[in-house]
Amino acid sequence: MLELHVWGPAFGLPSLDSHCLAAIAYLQQAVPRGKWQLIASSDPGLSPTNELPALRNGEIWIGGFRNIFHYIAQLSAGEWVLDAGLPEQEGADCIAFSSFVESHGQPLLDLSLYVSSQNYSAVTRPLYNTIQSFPLPYLTPPAIRAAAKQRTEHLGLSSLDIDAEDGKPSQEQSIIPDSLRRPKNTVSSLLAASPEASASIRLDALATDFLEPLQRLKGKKQFFVSDSQFSSLDCLALGYLSLMLIPELPQAWLSKTMRTKFPGLCTWTEGMRDTVFSKNVSLNDAFLTKLGESELDVRLRKLRGRGHLPWKAPENRTSAAAGSAFVSSMADSIPIVGQLRRNTRMRQHGGKTYDEGAQDSQWGYLYAVGGLIAGLGVLGGYLFRQGLISFPVHEEPEENSRGLESFGEAGEALSFLANQMDAHAEMERIAERNYSHGAPIAEVDIEVEKDGVRAVETVS
Amino acid sequence: MPPKVTPEKDEQEQSSFSRQTRKVADLFSIPPPIKKLFDRVPVVVYPPNQLPQRAPKSARIPSLYVFSTSHDAAAGKPSFNPSCLKWQTFLNIAGVDHRLISSNNHASPTGSLPFLLPAVHSSSSQESLLPVTSNKFVKYASDHGGRVDESPSMRYEAYQSLLDHRIRNAWLYTLYLEPLNFSAVAYPLYVFPNSSNPLVRASIAYQLRIAAEAELLKHTSIIDTDDLYSEADKAFEALSILLGDDSWFFGNDKPALFDASVFAYTQLLLDDSMGWKEKKLCRALRTRDNLVQHRERLLVRYYGG
Repeated sequence: MLELHVWGPAFGLPSLDSHCLAAIAYLQQAVPRGKWQLIASSDPGLSPTNELPALRNGEIWIGGFRNIFHYIAQLSAGEWVLDAGLPEQEGADCIAFSSFVESHGQPLLDLSLYVSSQNYSAVTRPLYNTIQSFPLPYLTPPAIRAAAKQRTEHLGLSSLDIDAEDGKPSQEQSIIPDSLRRPKNTVSSLLAASPEASASIRLDALATDFLEPLQRLKGKKQFFVSDSQFSSLDCLALGYLSLMLIPELPQAWLSKTMRTKFPGLCTWTEGMRDTVFSKNVSLNDAFLTKLGESELDVRLRKLRGRGHLPWKAPENRTSAAAGSAFVSSMADSIPIVGQLRRNTRMRQHGGKTYDEGAQDSQWGYLYAVGGLIAGLGVLGGYLFRQGLISFPVHEEPEENSRGLESFGEAGEALSFLANQMDAHAEMERIAERNYSHGAPIAEVDIEVEKDGVRAVETVS
Repeated sequence: MPPKVTPEKDEQEQSSFSRQTRKVADLFSIPPPIKKLFDRVPVVVYPPNQLPQRAPKSARIPSLYVFSTSHDAAAGKPSFNPSCLKWQTFLNIAGVDHRLISSNNHASPTGSLPFLLPAVHSSSSQESLLPVTSNKFVKYASDHGGRVDESPSMRYEAYQSLLDHRIRNAWLYTLYLEPLNFSAVAYPLYVFPNSSNPLVRASIAYQLRIAAEAELLKHTSIIDTDDLYSEADKAFEALSILLGDDSWFFGNDKPALFDASVFAYTQLLLDDSMGWKEKKLCRALRTRDNLVQHRERLLVRYYGG
């Protein structure tokens, strides 16, 4: 039984990642039902290439959607291949446009789902809470977003990310007083209410550059390259186009451009989505949670054709597994250690088949752990030097400290005085007590006169 | 009304502070007689100095700055950098006369080669002397009487993406990250001419490799060598099918920019003088006969064999 591990469902699609959607579509079309299962494990650590989708066949793990296509073609001795029998020119188109969809579609999805601050914080980031277990949603989306920003850097559209622009206008101070400045409600400033609006012309052009060649390639055909055959390009295009069209985002420039300019592609995407995936995939479909439905409901749903993807619930991961995933993604984000880990990953993978390299991977693991320990040591040393952390100084428990010691020498002097004063007061109090309880106080006035001593005694 | 009081107080403090600073500034200001004297300076203005001997001479023909050796540049031989070679070939195809100057990235206004320094004419304005970056070469060529025929095809973008991504990624890997090729090909070309200091050389070599790795890791989480090579192989296959039995791509009767883009990689991979050690990518290309012939046609036509 083949197991396809993917990122979990979102937006009513079976996965939130375009490559996972492509792999699902491919297996759905190429591999007979009952020979494979779909698992929304949402953990790239499972895969040897550290990315999802990953395919598991017993002990063998295959990572990356192209490797998966190759592997299932090998496994079935060329039977489960979608592109077999395409005419030469169509086969070449399939290769070329696959590269085109991947290289031009990815920046669009990056901008729309991750770089745009509003979409990211309102929609994309919360999604990860639903598909990953506790500590991971704090690390995964920011890491993916950082990668997306890096990929789209060259387009010069970083203004969509308003987090990075915080406080910029306040920096440039003008010598013109506020009262004399012209009001800034010009047309362009009204248009620039959101960063997406001000960049809309460029975004629109980017989306058109991507969608137009696809529209022209498809023409009136049923599929992209062939009129009769569902190819691997269709899988890939479906993955990208459905993520562009279907999510409902606060800044919906991408789906808006697609709906207004390329209605043909929209119809195709929606139609294919319903036949290849199922109509509206929910989290409950993926995790096979029972909503208190009776047997009848389940059967009705099956009859209606919903949930016809062969979902299997992901294994309940222990907290130790989640913890290790957490630690490894933390390690990836530490500057030097993360670089080291990536390097070893490349080396252990380079030029070897999947079964080999066990020795190498152990060395890689050792390097990574060594690097991690060294890195933590350096970090700790640095923090210690900077005085950010310090060893707890042994403090003697003084019960009758007066709190004035903390004022240094002056405090000591003060506390000495206070002690004295206290002692004095105490003595007085004791004396008073003694007097009040003992004999009556007698005042003796002695007056010395010429003719003798006269004592006047008064008793109080 | 305490909240209103504070800003006023602040202003008062500020104004008193500024008065103070003005006093201090007055103390340091120039006394009027000396100021008058300095207002007369400069008394004499000398004519500007001559440019140093090694400064580029203003030429009658535009200069194209590329990665090359000074010897090869003088002979007009192909550059050893794919993007330089692409534009060099394009200018040759368009018939824009130019001379080559061996250079490196630090010389470029954009930080990457190639760029073009336009020719100096007596009538040329200051604007037209600015360097032209590679993304404006097509416009420059058509403005200066070059023949550029682009056939609009819906396949153009897609097959261009094969070159810009699939083949470029494999190229980056095979040149910088295959240790054998790096020491045999990239080191003598990109590191050796820059410095004679072994430490500087080691640092440049390291930076090159790290930059190539970072570029590849932008799109995948891991550098999967097998995938890179097999995708490049498929890309050559697709290009070979696209070319078919035609002389030039997209059935043109003359070569165009796309032919130059393909030539940029095929020339360097098939050139024996590059001295490749790990020849996986070269072998993948050599099996496509029509691409090999396409390269030879361009080589003979624009570089004299």
